[in-house]
Amino acid sequence: MRWSRIRLIFGRELRDQLRDRRTIFMIFVLPVLLYPILGFTVKTLAEAFDNTVRRVVVVGAEYLPDEPPLLTEGEGGFLRFDPGLFDGGGSPPLLIEPVPPGGRWDDPQQQLAALRNGEADVIVDIPAEVRGQITRLERPTFKIAYLRSDEQSLATYQVVEDVIARWQDAIVARRLAADEKPAEYVAPVEVEAVDLARQVLGSSASGVSVWARLFPFLLVMMALTGAFYPAVDLCAGEKERGTMETLLISPALRSEIVVGKFLTVMAASAGTALLNLASMGLTMAVLGPQLAAGAAGPGSPMDELAPPSPIALAWIVVLLIPLSGFFSAVCLALAVLARSMKEGQYYMTPLYLISLPLIFLTLMPGVDLNPFYSLVPITGVSLLLKKLILEQYVEARPYFLPVLLSTIVYGLIALRWAVGQFRTEQVLFREAERFDLGSWVRHLVRDRGPVPSGGQAVACFAIILALSWYTSILLTRTDPLVALALGQLVFILVPPTAMALVLTSSPRRTLRLRWPGWAPILLATGLAATLNPLTAELRPVVTDLFPIPPAVEQALEALQAAIPNLATAVLLIAVIPAICEEVAFRGYILSGLETAHSRGVAIVLSAFLFAFLHVLISLFQQFFNAALLGLVLGWMALKTRSLFPSIAFHLTNNALAVLGPSLSVGWLYRDQTLFLYRWPIVAFGAVASIGLLAVLDRIGQTKADDPVAADLPADQLAGASAAGPE
Amino acid sequence: MIQVEHLSKAFFDYRRGWVPAVDDVSFECRPGEIFGLLGPNGAGKTTTLRILSTVLKPTAGRAIVAGHDVVLEPEEVRARIGFMSSNTGVYDRMTAWELVEYFGRLYGIEGDALKARMEEIFSWLQMNEFRDVLGSKMSTGMRQKVSIARTIVHDPPVLIFDEPTSGLDVLVARAVLLKIAELRDRGKTIIFSTHSMQEVTKLCDRVAIIYKGRLQAEGRPGELLERFDQPDLEELFFHLVERADADAVASA
Repeated sequence: MRWSRIRLIFGRELRDQLRDRRTIFMIFVLPVLLYPILGFTVKTLAEAFDNTVRRVVVVGAEYLPDEPPLLTEGEGGFLRFDPGLFDGGGSPPLLIEPVPPGGRWDDPQQQLAALRNGEADVIVDIPAEVRGQITRLERPTFKIAYLRSDEQSLATYQVVEDVIARWQDAIVARRLAADEKPAEYVAPVEVEAVDLARQVLGSSASGVSVWARLFPFLLVMMALTGAFYPAVDLCAGEKERGTMETLLISPALRSEIVVGKFLTVMAASAGTALLNLASMGLTMAVLGPQLAAGAAGPGSPMDELAPPSPIALAWIVVLLIPLSGFFSAVCLALAVLARSMKEGQYYMTPLYLISLPLIFLTLMPGVDLNPFYSLVPITGVSLLLKKLILEQYVEARPYFLPVLLSTIVYGLIALRWAVGQFRTEQVLFREAERFDLGSWVRHLVRDRGPVPSGGQAVACFAIILALSWYTSILLTRTDPLVALALGQLVFILVPPTAMALVLTSSPRRTLRLRWPGWAPILLATGLAATLNPLTAELRPVVTDLFPIPPAVEQALEALQAAIPNLATAVLLIAVIPAICEEVAFRGYILSGLETAHSRGVAIVLSAFLFAFLHVLISLFQQFFNAALLGLVLGWMALKTRSLFPSIAFHLTNNALAVLGPSLSVGWLYRDQTLFLYRWPIVAFGAVASIGLLAVLDRIGQTKADDPVAADLPADQLAGASAAGPE
Repeated sequence: MIQVEHLSKAFFDYRRGWVPAVDDVSFECRPGEIFGLLGPNGAGKTTTLRILSTVLKPTAGRAIVAGHDVVLEPEEVRARIGFMSSNTGVYDRMTAWELVEYFGRLYGIEGDALKARMEEIFSWLQMNEFRDVLGSKMSTGMRQKVSIARTIVHDPPVLIFDEPTSGLDVLVARAVLLKIAELRDRGKTIIFSTHSMQEVTKLCDRVAIIYKGRLQAEGRPGELLERFDQPDLEELFFHLVERADADAVASA
């Protein structure tokens, strides 16, 4: 790659974008104009709302005592609440309308009608005996009728309630004075709320809580939106305008073209995000205090919208760059698939559908940055931004590198994908094809290869996920044990088996139904046993980081209690999952991923999908263990070119989990509740595992040279299925 | 300069499976010669030329352009060819001058050398009056001239023109053809695809007739007329097409 060429392409693409009116409008004009306009509209509406006259109908005003006054006569002879009952700040204009008791104002039906048609916003009903009751120290009841669903009625109610509360205070003060008691007589303790952020750091810092929640969310959304449109224009748009091929026949390498375009998209993404936020921040900084002073007084949420500090802003810029890079690379790789701008827009929806849950996670209370989240794309950055805006630098520091590095790594992977797309002529020169379901299915069957394609592998996984999800809803009423077995057999075993039979010409090769001999099977069984002490060490670490909710723990215990005997437990938890999950993940899915990717990538991807399934059908906490085992199982399946060692390993591993607590071999464990093995056993497990892995590796290499071994005799195939759960 | 040996290219289509677009095509063209690729729409001309320009990879066979294999050394090939087709458009938001300059710099020409070269090309193609016009404001003829300028800015030894006159009026088409002839006289290796017999008669030193992805005949126009005993190129073309269709029916 030559940087001079990348710079040249970047310069041209950037200039091209800046000459495009749509881009200029989306990136510069819209944010600069939108937020001030929105802000002023909100402000004007709020002011209009404040200045609307609210009608307070007072039934029986004549019963009120003269001292202390609740209602006094104002200018022009109109009744009003005594001005001394308002708390310094301005009050919305209230129109007091005294009506005599009786008649329609006593009937709740007619009161409701009056509130609904705007004759009144609240109706205060004063009892006839109020003077005497107050003197006799009884508690007269003031009924205030209002409509909770009507904003104006609700707001008026709050004002009137405040006024009456202060009037009560005035009555109490008079009684205290009459009895010569101090004010402390009725209020022995004073409570003072201290918002430390406000007191120590100044008023802007209190705004960070609103910002900390809102800001990462908006920043991520803007970075994504800002990347998407330019990416579509630079790929699909160029195809549509016929200039893509002009660039492809230039001496520039595909990687140079992609990096040049990538930098352009990234600049647009970061630019959009920063400008939007700058404009929004300025609008809020200007309008926030005005709104606060005008409407609800200091301390209201409006006052908390002051922008974050300059240091936090500097951090935001630092984090925004890799985030924009990640989105830009993903958008570029997707956009090049599209033939036209219109088609490109369609790809936006799935991208948002995947990104939104990852961003929404940061809006959920209780979700905080931890080592796991710091590695999740998008979520890690958002959570770190939240911490930085809250100015919790000490807590944020250990996560800075993991978040930054993982985002850069994801960005580079996506960029590599984009370069790959630009090297694929089917992607660059895709012709419009009329889609017809019938002939597409016929093509799938007619042109099937010996093993599935990468896309089919992913489709199989998606089908398994969807089926597991729906059946978990459908099977809630059935016996949990039957549901467990059915879930595995029907929804994890059936899709890959059916797909292998219909969509591949060699289901046997796809599902790796090759008998590898007894040696790999025994080695795999042994490896599961020797790895067990090591995986046991992982368990408390994971549950420490992500504690299992008590409700889930109880449900699990209930499920375990429902299993009648050990044999059923082994069948349900070890035998059936071992066969079903291996056929799906190390059989169909791994075979498909192998055709699309290198072996290493295929193993990692299959392990990730395997772990992801466990998150969905079981516990989030199983992710790590499942991912780790998925790597070993995938490697084993590729090395031995057979599914049986993986089944043996999986079966042994799960069986140990079931049998461990039941066998009374206390001397094995140093911790009997967590089933942590004694240290010498852990050490032995590690050494033995390395040894077994090395032997399996050598067996795999010698077997790979022996093409005859690829075929599986029919009787052995029958024997394998007889070992199933029937 | 261009050697094409048993070149084949098939595309996958889920309705029909693998569909051959170019099937076992071989030819050769030399410096100072215009080689015509004559065939109807969909004959496989564009696919062949796209393989020569390295944007498509052949499914079988090989092609050597300016001494480099199109599959093994695509960058070397691209640096030595100029390629122009109806699919190589002009940027809407760039002026004529900017576009030619951009591609000149992509080919590694910089500074005064590039400026001198561009002045020469702009006067040769009479493009000076619209050098600051944006692509979106240009007429078809202007765009075609910009494309030619872009194709020759790096003075490549091999030029590939895929239907360069399609959609042009007679005046502009004539001007384009004259410029291509001038380029031949400067010693360039030129391959030129068209479906116009007239253009072939006027311009091409040698011609290959391609139909349904297969090369039907190849040689000097006069030689071909003699070989197939036909009065003119048009008759020759129909003769070859009918023969190919008859062969297809017989083999089916």
